[in-house]
Amino acid sequence: MSYKIPMGPYHPALEEPYKLDMICEGERVSDAKLHIGFNFRGIEHLAETRNYIQVIALMERVCGICSNIHTLTLCQAMEQLTGQEPPPRALYIRVVMAELERLHSHVLWAGIAAKLMGFKTMFMTCFEIREKVMDVLQAISGNRVNYSMNRIGGVNRDIDDPLAVLAMVEQLEREMVRTVIPIFTTSTTARMRCAGIGVLTHEKAISCGVVGPAARASGVPQDLRRAAPYAAYSELEFDVPVEKDGDVRARLLVRALEIMESCRILRQALAKMPSGEFHTGEGKIVFSTGTATSRVEAPRGEVMYSVSWKENSRNPSRVHVRTPTFANMPAIRWMVIGARLADTPLIQASIDPCYSCTDR
Amino acid sequence: MNLTTALARLLIFPGLLFAVPAAWFFLWVERKAVALMQGRIGPPFMQPFYDFIKLLGKSTPPRSGVSGLLMKMWPLIAVSAAAGAVGLLPVLPSSGGFEGDLILLLALLELPSICIIAAGFSSRSIFGEIGSAREAALSVSYNVVFLLAIVSIAASQHTFRLEALAGLPTSPLHWLGVVAILVCLPAKLHINPFSLPNAEQEIYSGPMTEYAGPELAMWELSHGLEWVAATGLVATLAAPHLTLWWLAALVFVGLSFAVVLLLSAVAAATARLAIDTTVRFYWQCTLIFAVLAISSALFMRIRS
Repeated sequence: MSYKIPMGPYHPALEEPYKLDMICEGERVSDAKLHIGFNFRGIEHLAETRNYIQVIALMERVCGICSNIHTLTLCQAMEQLTGQEPPPRALYIRVVMAELERLHSHVLWAGIAAKLMGFKTMFMTCFEIREKVMDVLQAISGNRVNYSMNRIGGVNRDIDDPLAVLAMVEQLEREMVRTVIPIFTTSTTARMRCAGIGVLTHEKAISCGVVGPAARASGVPQDLRRAAPYAAYSELEFDVPVEKDGDVRARLLVRALEIMESCRILRQALAKMPSGEFHTGEGKIVFSTGTATSRVEAPRGEVMYSVSWKENSRNPSRVHVRTPTFANMPAIRWMVIGARLADTPLIQASIDPCYSCTDR
Repeated sequence: MNLTTALARLLIFPGLLFAVPAAWFFLWVERKAVALMQGRIGPPFMQPFYDFIKLLGKSTPPRSGVSGLLMKMWPLIAVSAAAGAVGLLPVLPSSGGFEGDLILLLALLELPSICIIAAGFSSRSIFGEIGSAREAALSVSYNVVFLLAIVSIAASQHTFRLEALAGLPTSPLHWLGVVAILVCLPAKLHINPFSLPNAEQEIYSGPMTEYAGPELAMWELSHGLEWVAATGLVATLAAPHLTLWWLAALVFVGLSFAVVLLLSAVAAATARLAIDTTVRFYWQCTLIFAVLAISSALFMRIRS
């Protein structure tokens, strides 16, 4: 006998309001339907009523986890329209912030995944490390969630002593290697709960247009930091981890390896940071008429901003955002079909969904 | 056992007067121990008591008809059964008992679980029904090992009387049985890695989803009493035979406390397993235990 079980929009397994209607037969899911739009705030419309300084502060609030990525992408698009070129030091600071944010996001996700497996002790461990990543972010920017680092033509704050931050990052890396990475890679619990579930094949991943770690776990070697380098990524050495299995464990592994790669990028960026200015100065910013797009590899995948401006206007005429979760969502249906009911929270969490970004 | 001692055991020690505060205490120990292991502060000492009182003061939505009546009844039956089970434990030396009280104890220990299954289906919530189905599958799996363990202990001592069992010298089979019971306790008490029926990330609180107020308070109490009864059973079987009544009571409480700590550590160190893995685990345990029990029995027969 089949029955329908609603998961969400208010559910203890989901941090954000969205709904997954699952048709189950016994403990198996035979079909699923995803509903979004419970968190709509009209931010894109609000952006049209804000000037070029206010809009950065507004778009920072699209997401609470990848707040820096949203302002980075927006500023890159606005820099195309204004012709401002950020100085090299600003590009390195942007890389440092983006990679610290990736660490923060991946560790937070590891905690949530552990909680969904019913492993609350691991959840607490991950969140302790997340606090330490936030300490580093606070040491640089003075803020723990909305860092307000990016501006048109550079960054708002300099990293005065990159070597001190480097020491903090190395300490962080040691703790990650000791606690979080083994949970992702060698833990029996993680293997038992994650191996072979929520499989997204390579073909399905391409046809669904999946992005980010979810795509890389299905054998799609796609990373904008490599494919279309922005900030200072073209000057840094790093690998793009790719797994072939396409199951939840592969997504775990990809994120674990990405944590290590982020640490590697951070070490290089902090050690090689060029001296000089970190923004282009306080001169008047003039926009030209047109539409500019910018793409950035957020922790969850590709974020795209399309910004339209009319000359002599203080406000943008259109700001459009495409978030990675929006691209990854349709794949959830294919992942949960045939899965056990007990695995569905973990499967839907394995794409690291962010409905705050998606609904806006 | 005459009526007075039976009433004293049921109502005073180890019955209600002891068991209810002990239930709250054990619930607190479990929560506090898990919290400390996770680097949290944990609840204050009186929290389970406060929870109970607060729930008692809440109103519940009116439910009519037979299912409403049943939903009110299940928690009460569960509490009475669990309290009765605690009352039967032969904590004090020469406290009486009767031939076959072990069988009654097993039945009483099983009743709360049956009530939970029935409550989930009575509530007609989809989450309750799934939780109940899981509880039923879990109960069928772990009870085989649990009953086999107790029956083999009883058979090795040729008695189904609890006091006689606790008083007799122990054998390897006895300790094997205690270990098997310990393996079953996480499933019986719905804690990790077998917290499937109330897996909040999957099905909210399972059979308890539709419960609120005093009825939920009764469920909490019955859960606490189950802790006392289940850990008490292990303590009774593992405790050495003592003639001093106060020493026997102390050893009983100490051993129960140690079992609670052990179970909390297991709960903190594990993730929740899926239902098929759980069922497979318990059937494998059954097989291993059966082989060990038969070889141990043969060994004892040859030696005697």
